[in-house]
Amino acid sequence: MVGILYYCIGETGYLSTLDWDGTSPTPTSVGLQNYQDILVDPIFWQAIWHTVVFFLVTFTAQTAIGFVFAALLHSKVKLATVYKVIVFTPVVIAPATMAPVFRQMFAADGQLNWFLDHVGLGFLSQPWLAQSSTAMPVIMFITVWNFTGLTFVLYYAAMGQIDPEVLEAARTDGASNLRTLVSIVWPGVRSTTVALAMLSVIGALKTFDIPYLVTIGGPNYATEFLGTYIYRISIPSAHVGYGAALSIMLLVLALLGAIAVAARSNRKDGESGV
Amino acid sequence: MRAVFEARRPSARLLLQILVTAMVIPYLFPLVVMVQGSLAGEGWGNYRAVFEVGTIGTFFKSSVIISVSTIIIVYVLTMLAAFGFSKLRVRRKEVYFWMILAALTLPEVVLLTPLFATTLALGVYDTYWAVVLPLAALQIPFTVLIARRFVDGVPDALFDAARIDGASTFTSFRYIIIPMTRPIGAAIVVLTLIGSWNAYLLPLVLIQDPAQQTVTLLPQFFVSQFSNDQTKVLASAVITAIPEIVAYLCLQGLFERGLAAGAVK
Repeated sequence: MVGILYYCIGETGYLSTLDWDGTSPTPTSVGLQNYQDILVDPIFWQAIWHTVVFFLVTFTAQTAIGFVFAALLHSKVKLATVYKVIVFTPVVIAPATMAPVFRQMFAADGQLNWFLDHVGLGFLSQPWLAQSSTAMPVIMFITVWNFTGLTFVLYYAAMGQIDPEVLEAARTDGASNLRTLVSIVWPGVRSTTVALAMLSVIGALKTFDIPYLVTIGGPNYATEFLGTYIYRISIPSAHVGYGAALSIMLLVLALLGAIAVAARSNRKDGESGV
Repeated sequence: MRAVFEARRPSARLLLQILVTAMVIPYLFPLVVMVQGSLAGEGWGNYRAVFEVGTIGTFFKSSVIISVSTIIIVYVLTMLAAFGFSKLRVRRKEVYFWMILAALTLPEVVLLTPLFATTLALGVYDTYWAVVLPLAALQIPFTVLIARRFVDGVPDALFDAARIDGASTFTSFRYIIIPMTRPIGAAIVVLTLIGSWNAYLLPLVLIQDPAQQTVTLLPQFFVSQFSNDQTKVLASAVITAIPEIVAYLCLQGLFERGLAAGAVK
């Protein structure tokens, strides 16, 4: 099985040196020309920039919301199961299923604008998906909506592992709720945060379904990611060679990203003597 | 465990409750929009119209076939691989293991062109296999990782005892590994189910025949079918989401544990 994957990588590597439309019988070999083109391709750099911003924003938002939510549900609120189900349900629904819903919701005459009008915030209503400035935040919102459930469930489980006596001792010493949360609970779930950071880096680089289905990378490349760019170059525009070279770049970035997160977390473990 | 936030006074409790409620509203809103939008205009007539097209059944059938086949392949290969990596002596097995782990970072969009060419060459393009095999291959690195860690926890003494009693390697696998790995096995099934049921890109590119397309392609099918009549598109979205939500509600604990096991490495 893994053989299939490595065979595909090998073939992509070979394709990346070609100028080929995918069907003609005589592809031209162009050596490393495709890679040189990538380095001066503004859309490529834009996609990289989007990925970085996207990762920083979605990771921070998911971590913050998931963490606070897990802490709140560990605090004997009523109807905890109902809240949990609401936050986790998006995790199991396919982005492809929700895409038309979000296109409708954020449309100029969609429910979000309707809602804003009715709560007296009508001046905020705008065509969310049709403007470069708001399309990316919408994509980020959908991603956070989609994956916070997972972050929450992981933190919820990790918080259950914290020794109750430590919390008890902190309380006896007069630590406030906030103080306990920052000094005991947050360090207590650090390994979960690291695992989530790793998932988010890889996830951000792999992003495809949501921007492709909701905005098709537009308007004006405002939500273009490496995944959607590779797809557009390889399939509809049939620049197979260039698409393959982009794929190799993405693969290298994904590996580097994973290694960077792993190395950083190891170093921190060393420093704190864990 | 003790409460993380301690709220002794009723007013503080009420405040926490209000805070939690405010936090879930953005999560609930899109789901409400989906249901409400699907009932706009002709009301339940939208659902009738969607069912009358008659293709929903075939889309579901394809998704079921693809998910079930992927789950079987992933489960069998993962368990065998986890057993091999953990308990058998295989030459250079750590090298193979790291090669599998590196594949964790592989985005499927990178594989599109080579998969397209490969499935054409093998004559499986436009069949279920074209989707099932890559889906399974993409899932396996993750599942092998978590299953191996689990099998590592099974004491070696059990296998020694089995060998002394004359059990073959396969017998050990069948009667020790399979029963003892049930919890992680369930997690693998749930992870693979969600991964294969929700797959969008691979069926989009590798299957052309409408009779074999999956439920994730359904909303787009209806966009062209009803020339952008949003209410019917949303009705079709609700219909595709319901089985997933029902499956999750029935097996809540299993879904949450399964996905959590997949994420924590």
